[in-house]
Amino acid sequence: MAGLSPSFGRGAMTNHVVDLKNTDYALIMGSNAAENHPVTMKWLTKARLERGAKIIHVDPRFTRTSQIADLYAPLRSGTDIAFLGGMIKYIIDNKLYHRDYVVNYTDASFIVKEGFSFHDGLFSGYDPDKGQYDNSSWDYEIDADGKYVSDPTLEHPRCVFQLMKKHYSRYDMDTVCNITGTPKNKYLRVLEMYTQSGAPNKTGNIMYAMGTTQHTVGTQNVRSYAVIQLLLGNMGRPGGGVNALRGENNVQGSTDQALLFHIIPGYITSPTNSPAHKNLEGFLAKETPKTGFKVNQPKWVVSLLKAWYGDAAQSENDFAYHYIPKRDANKNYSHIAMFEAMHRGELDGLFIWGGNPVVGGPHANKEQEAMCNLKWLVAADLWLTESADFWTYQAWDRPASETKVKKRTPKDIQTEVFFLPAAAVYEKEGTATNTGRWVQYRGKAAEPVGDSMPDLWFIYEIGKRLQAAYANSKDAKDEPIKYMTWGPYGNGHEPDVVEVGLEMNGYYVDNPRKPVPGFPKLAADGSTACGNWIYCGQMTTKANGDLDYKPMWRDNKDNSKTGLGLYSNWSWCWPVNRRVLYNRCSVQPDGVTPWPGDEKRQLIGWDPLAISDPLTGKLGKWVGDDVPDFNTALAPTEPGGINPFIMRPEGKGCLFAAKASTKDGPFPEHYEPWESPFPNLMSKQNKNPAIKVWEPDKQASPEQYPIIGTTYRVVEHWQTGALTRNLPWLAELMPNMFVEMSEQLAKIKGIRNGDKVIITTIRGDVEAVACVTKRFKPFIVDGRTVHQIGTVWHFGFKGYAKGDPANRLTPHIGDANTMIPEYKAWLCDVRRA
Amino acid sequence: MANKANLYDVSKCTACRGCIIACKDWNQLPAVIEPFKGNYCTHEDTNGDTFTIMRFIEEETDPADDVKWHFLKYQCMHCFDPACMKVCPQGAYTKTDWGATFHNPEKCIGCQYCTYACPFTIPKYRKREDKITKCTLCVDRVEAGLTPACSRTCPTGALSFGDRHELLAQAEERVKFLRANGFPNATIYGKLELGGLNMLYLLTDTPDKFGLPIDPKVPGQITFWQDWVQPYFGWLIPLALAGSAFSFVTTRILAGKNGEHAEGGHE
Amino acid sequence: MKVTRRQFLKVTGATAASFAVIDLGFDLKATAAGVMELRTKNVQPMPTICPYCATGCGLLVYSERDSAGKFVKLLSVQGDPDNPINRGAACAKGSAMFNLREIYDERTGEQVINPNRVQKPLYRAPGSDKWEEKDWDWMLDEITKRVVETRDKAFTHKEKLADGSEAIVNRCERIGSMGGSGLDTEECYLLAKLMRSLGLVFLETQARI
Repeated sequence: MAGLSPSFGRGAMTNHVVDLKNTDYALIMGSNAAENHPVTMKWLTKARLERGAKIIHVDPRFTRTSQIADLYAPLRSGTDIAFLGGMIKYIIDNKLYHRDYVVNYTDASFIVKEGFSFHDGLFSGYDPDKGQYDNSSWDYEIDADGKYVSDPTLEHPRCVFQLMKKHYSRYDMDTVCNITGTPKNKYLRVLEMYTQSGAPNKTGNIMYAMGTTQHTVGTQNVRSYAVIQLLLGNMGRPGGGVNALRGENNVQGSTDQALLFHIIPGYITSPTNSPAHKNLEGFLAKETPKTGFKVNQPKWVVSLLKAWYGDAAQSENDFAYHYIPKRDANKNYSHIAMFEAMHRGELDGLFIWGGNPVVGGPHANKEQEAMCNLKWLVAADLWLTESADFWTYQAWDRPASETKVKKRTPKDIQTEVFFLPAAAVYEKEGTATNTGRWVQYRGKAAEPVGDSMPDLWFIYEIGKRLQAAYANSKDAKDEPIKYMTWGPYGNGHEPDVVEVGLEMNGYYVDNPRKPVPGFPKLAADGSTACGNWIYCGQMTTKANGDLDYKPMWRDNKDNSKTGLGLYSNWSWCWPVNRRVLYNRCSVQPDGVTPWPGDEKRQLIGWDPLAISDPLTGKLGKWVGDDVPDFNTALAPTEPGGINPFIMRPEGKGCLFAAKASTKDGPFPEHYEPWESPFPNLMSKQNKNPAIKVWEPDKQASPEQYPIIGTTYRVVEHWQTGALTRNLPWLAELMPNMFVEMSEQLAKIKGIRNGDKVIITTIRGDVEAVACVTKRFKPFIVDGRTVHQIGTVWHFGFKGYAKGDPANRLTPHIGDANTMIPEYKAWLCDVRRA
Repeated sequence: MANKANLYDVSKCTACRGCIIACKDWNQLPAVIEPFKGNYCTHEDTNGDTFTIMRFIEEETDPADDVKWHFLKYQCMHCFDPACMKVCPQGAYTKTDWGATFHNPEKCIGCQYCTYACPFTIPKYRKREDKITKCTLCVDRVEAGLTPACSRTCPTGALSFGDRHELLAQAEERVKFLRANGFPNATIYGKLELGGLNMLYLLTDTPDKFGLPIDPKVPGQITFWQDWVQPYFGWLIPLALAGSAFSFVTTRILAGKNGEHAEGGHE
Repeated sequence: MKVTRRQFLKVTGATAASFAVIDLGFDLKATAAGVMELRTKNVQPMPTICPYCATGCGLLVYSERDSAGKFVKLLSVQGDPDNPINRGAACAKGSAMFNLREIYDERTGEQVINPNRVQKPLYRAPGSDKWEEKDWDWMLDEITKRVVETRDKAFTHKEKLADGSEAIVNRCERIGSMGGSGLDTEECYLLAKLMRSLGLVFLETQARI
């Protein structure tokens, strides 16, 4: 996600699932969509059948997605930027970019300040002692009026386009294929096929998932997609987009609600202890950009504070801004950091809400050890997961050869564990936000089993009891919890999801039953309360005054006149029900003319005769089947009228990620994974220079561990397997942990199909059943043969389907920006058990 | 009544195996968990609680880089002229007038003669009930106006249920397209095999690549006995087959059957 | 709010959902087989959204209810034909949702509650090798005590900032919270609000891993 926001302004799938049917070319990379998002294939195969669309799959291994694709090309894990950098060069060299789009809708013409440079793998501003960049030189030139200096001819040597051209001139086909191990003929076919989507009457979409993000260069992998899609003019148009296929049914919703340390609801930076964040005024001044739609941020923050702290939030006390915790600006609190701190004994308590780090966490052996340092653990789930049971004898079973883990017994572990049995998805009601941002309601179809209860109930109950515990406190530190608004969200035994939905949506403080109709109506004066501005608009009222929760809407008629499958009255999507983000791009800059030959995929247009403001009678308005992702009254001829990326301060799609957008560079650059058998062929910088190394002693040498390992998923299971290995039908389809390897490697190692094998890394050993397959092939990299194996990370010691957790093998190392672990490329060895 | 069929187009299948589970959900079938032995399909064959499986077959078409992964949904073929029905001593099998080969468990005595007669060895014995089971083509659903569970759940339209002649016409068109687009051996299976099946396959290659018999045959012995002997001397079959390849079956019919019934007393 | 729920099932809008009672487009009269009656005859299903990947497919849960409308047991879970995302389709995981609650026993074929589901709150004491069943009140009170104790012991109310001035930071670093991507959005919202108000900064969900 983190690569999307610096490019386009928002960190979300830009199009939606049904829109895949409108594509001409689909590049599936870093994703095994047919297995992990099977229903996306419903729409892609429809596009192929009805539009002649082509499906391309790029992956280290031939999967079920490869089989359904028109073209498959292998690449070695962790070399995506080399692969895509070569594609950028190919597009520029052969002038395959969509020129009108690039000139008008991207920052290609912007001039970059003098002082920006790139040399031998390092961008300007690198401090080798700190291992960090000072990214102030990664910036555009601004004229005296504060406007971006640009050269629409794209000829200026310091314009983004020319700098980009120079940067990727090094990614020639020979070098690329030497790095990626992709056969040259296959690589060329991918380039030829996908870049055809640059034609103005064609669109192409890139679908990605964890195969892209789970690298030390994960953010830059996504940035590469963004650059390609902007060059080919594929953003903001049906059938286009950079489509992040999110892995958990409500990972989008949970992220929107900011269950992440670095944000508060609605993707607002969470405050820190930096002096600039000392008070609300300072915080808003620092975090609110001067241009773009985010200038409205003060309204969102004040409304959030009103929703959370009610009467305790007044203009006199900074709307209780000081109640929100200020994290240490110099500390990282991400998943890896949390478990490193826990391992050092710095945490006493942990809540796990349907998570399973003993299976799903990187370097799972370490995370399991870390949990032993907790005084108490609260785990909520449907079943006893491996993490809830981390203290059992079973949890410390290891292959006989394992020497890296100190085994423990229950009596060694002093952690108190509270297990809260949770209701299953259809034993309660609520909404989930899918990968395409659709917020859909799910009803209660059955009673929870036994005494299990919905999470909403026990979260609410814990809050209630904590408020009671602090009710009589006079201590200022307890005010946030004491004065937190806490329902009661209806009159029932359980909180009513519609009432919670109303608070998220926002209401008028002087009329708390009246939903705010949309975020443009939010105010910074304390008159509106809104728990999450991006969900503002999901609630309305019916004619009779009852609340009407739009996620419940079930009108499944396609409102698109050209059959694009928008379904705008089915559920609701954020922001303000826009189904295709950045849809200003679906029409030419003049706002009226569709892209040549692409009339049917124009989503919105400028109607000069429509009245935009009934009060003043001002004429001219953006109209269309989709909700315009644009200021509806801003004419194409007015300043900013051709700035389709309204959430970016530039208003343009960013080929160049300026300033603090990323920590590791304005252009994606290839670096090897943290553990790799090869030095970087592109530069002297082997690894991403901006990553934080947590465990230097846990980096394997290729001499000892010569094989590349990766992890992935299969359609029959899901994530850590808690919700699938406990289902007999799914256990039947995939009953055991297995490892896939080529016939060539199996022969060298004397392994036969179905043998039990041990995979070993510097961090742990696991046992698995060998699946010797023609679908994995050795890679020829820089003239040398290297083998790669792959294993599924769904398994653990509980459930109907059991096996060792693959994450006992993976490293505690993360992306420079997001800290997402590098599960996808590490070093190992394998032998018969 | 028009002849209905299920059409399985392998060129559209992603092997998500939703069909297998939807079948288990609708037909109330327990899981049968067998260990992973190196192939994604852990069941080598259907069983008493698994009416349909998905085969995964790898083929290296060009040693340099090209691999194919053939998927095949495998279940009862609902033959026009079902051998199982012919050999069943209890008349437990019927052919609905729209094409399903239906096995009525009420009449079944668990002799398993049908299993051995079937060219695809589809009918399977379910021990806990002492009966044969197999895919019913979801007769209950179809006769209530619903699509069979497997076709209904298929995300990509690889499975479709409808009038057999219409599906055949569609398949013929699709074969032409596939042959012209990189699959020169694409073919239809089930149109003429065994005189016709109510399960149609659209294959991207020859049937053997998918583990299907190119020219399936009902064992000659059975044809002979069923077409000639049974109509006249049906009660002789078990005796006549005793000592042959079917001795297990016949012995069971003659002996084990009644004994077990007496002991178990579950009818 | 009851009205809203009923409204949901009644379905608003132009194409009132049918839940595809007849999806073949033809209706066969019962023939020779006619021994089986449709298990879901006259059952009004409840729509849900799949809890696995984030595609957001709709599913219909069919259940048996007694004459008073009380839930008895599940009948079947199938793709929702009206949901525009999947139009009735479901992969292996979506099709297996019945098993989240109930299973067919392999030995007897009987329909039973999935035995792996935990039906009572459980507590494991320090050093113990077993779980003990507890009631909800005890559990929630004890959890509250642990949170208060840890929070009060290790809370930073004010601290000196980099510029030497002092400010309120309201931070508790000794408690962490992780997970939430499997929760409903309303649950995530309340969780985020509660955890932030307690001062938690180690707040993470599966988006990061």
